[in-house]
Amino acid sequence: MIYVRELRKHYTVHEKEPGLVGSLRSFIRRRTKIVRAVDGVSFEIAPGEMLGFLGPNGAGKTTTLKMLSGLLHPTSGTVSVGGYTPKERRTPFLKHITLVMGQKQQLLWDLPALDSFLVNQAIYEIPNDEYKRTMAEFSEILELEGILKKQVRKLSLGERMKCELAAALLHRPRVLFLDEPTIGLDVNMQVRIREFIAEYNRRYEATVILTSHYMADVTALCQRIIVIDKGCIMFDGDLSALIESAAPGKVVRLELSAPVPDERLQEYGRLESRDGLKAEILVPRHNTSQLAARLLATLPVADVTIEDPPIEEVIGQLFTGVRAPAEAGAEQQVAAR
Amino acid sequence: MRSALNKGRVLFTVWFAHMSAYRAEIIIWMLAGSVPLIMMAVWIAKAQASGGATGGFTPSDFAAYFLAAWLTQQIIVAWVAWELDHHIRQGHLSPKLLRPLDPFWEFFMGHASERFVRLPFMLVILFAGLILVPGTRLTPDAGHVLAYAACASLAFTIRFLIAYSIGLLAFWFDQATALDEFYYVAAAFLTGTFAPLEFYPPFIQAAVEWTPFPYLVYYPVRVLTGAADTPEILRVLGVQLAWLLVMTLVRALLWKQGLKRYGAVGA
Repeated sequence: MIYVRELRKHYTVHEKEPGLVGSLRSFIRRRTKIVRAVDGVSFEIAPGEMLGFLGPNGAGKTTTLKMLSGLLHPTSGTVSVGGYTPKERRTPFLKHITLVMGQKQQLLWDLPALDSFLVNQAIYEIPNDEYKRTMAEFSEILELEGILKKQVRKLSLGERMKCELAAALLHRPRVLFLDEPTIGLDVNMQVRIREFIAEYNRRYEATVILTSHYMADVTALCQRIIVIDKGCIMFDGDLSALIESAAPGKVVRLELSAPVPDERLQEYGRLESRDGLKAEILVPRHNTSQLAARLLATLPVADVTIEDPPIEEVIGQLFTGVRAPAEAGAEQQVAAR
Repeated sequence: MRSALNKGRVLFTVWFAHMSAYRAEIIIWMLAGSVPLIMMAVWIAKAQASGGATGGFTPSDFAAYFLAAWLTQQIIVAWVAWELDHHIRQGHLSPKLLRPLDPFWEFFMGHASERFVRLPFMLVILFAGLILVPGTRLTPDAGHVLAYAACASLAFTIRFLIAYSIGLLAFWFDQATALDEFYYVAAAFLTGTFAPLEFYPPFIQAAVEWTPFPYLVYYPVRVLTGAADTPEILRVLGVQLAWLLVMTLVRALLWKQGLKRYGAVGA
């Protein structure tokens, strides 16, 4: 469904020192540098697959999505989405995809959302009966009843996001690019949007690429993860494999029935925290079960749980690990005009 | 074809509703564009001071000319350069680019529908002007009125395309609206808004003929005031169509090249 090979997007940006002197200097001699927003990215996505795109701010996630949806022309590389080249923006391609940007809106600000839906119905040439059916479905899942006739500017952020999603999916696209679709929403609304995306994926076998700063979005929806940083892919695979590779340990949470010195706990792994009879030990993943058995046999344990470390921590560690060596070659001073 | 008509109908209806929300602002913008009415007072005073006529124009001729110029200016007004500049630089063009319809049509329908919101106010001011200056009359001939409708529609489309092309320069420059400001100054002098072109030196009249400016206000005014005969009307329509074609090509070229540079800034 989606094929990306050696995709690159390099921008030339102007640099200026702050203040009057900086302004004058920049007026005479304008310095530029090349920023490699996306730098040789390759991946493939199968039809119906849901993929999570993770990375810190400025990693290249949104730039990649913008190239996949045809908004940006790549500097080099090959992109094919459903057999189309996105940058050509052919009508069948545009009817095939959607891009939801949590921080950009397509709804007309001063009119009810229903008017924007009518515009989309006409533009995407959606027959009346199909439009009514889709609207009924979306109204039910997203609970749109009562908000469609209110002016968009009078809707709450959550209500507006629901309408944005409905407007973006009205033509039932087969490929969804979702860029931070739950940004700024409360937890309940995040869950509602997640359920809607999952339901849409099931019903229409849609391919979904999702970027989000909320790890819960990704863990709830995506089996496969691509981690991108400084424009390069750092990891591509199952969420569980990511945790295994980035976090070679598991967290053993103990509740002891009698006091035990720290030194005895440290025999089993790294003591992460200690609070009276409660302790957290990070143990090597490969022999977690043997260590747990030994621990139960030798220590006064009242309760024990063994878990993977939180995904946020794993990703955080992954980024701090890759940042340092990547730092040097990411940006290149090139010219002074 | 049916689908294209349906798109046009829906866009017109929705944008009419959108523009209606700004009716108070539209009246203010209309008043801001009243230079021809001020010039009308100046030229009438000059004609009266000169014993009844200046350059063959009587006070009622001036009144008819500037009222028609004011009306035409109201019909051709376009702010799309500002909208596009903002959309391109702020990344707001992105949602429009994702849809299978050239954003041009949405901006165009926005402008076209706005004309109908300002129409009642235009007619009130026009009739007030006709009553206030005794003896003033526009053409009573239905043929000229129809020809004016065609000329004014073409003038609007040409002006819209010029503004659109200027707005598209935001793909290359930080602030394309500076050029639209320059257009306003040039247009004020060269479209015939300040004075009928008969009052300009012959070499300027000849040079201006090679630009679209007189075909935006001056010639449509001649049609509405009944000064243009049928051959002149046909010539004006022909030249307007030629400018329409030229500007359509310019816009298409700028759009194609500019899109490659679009940064789609913002998340």
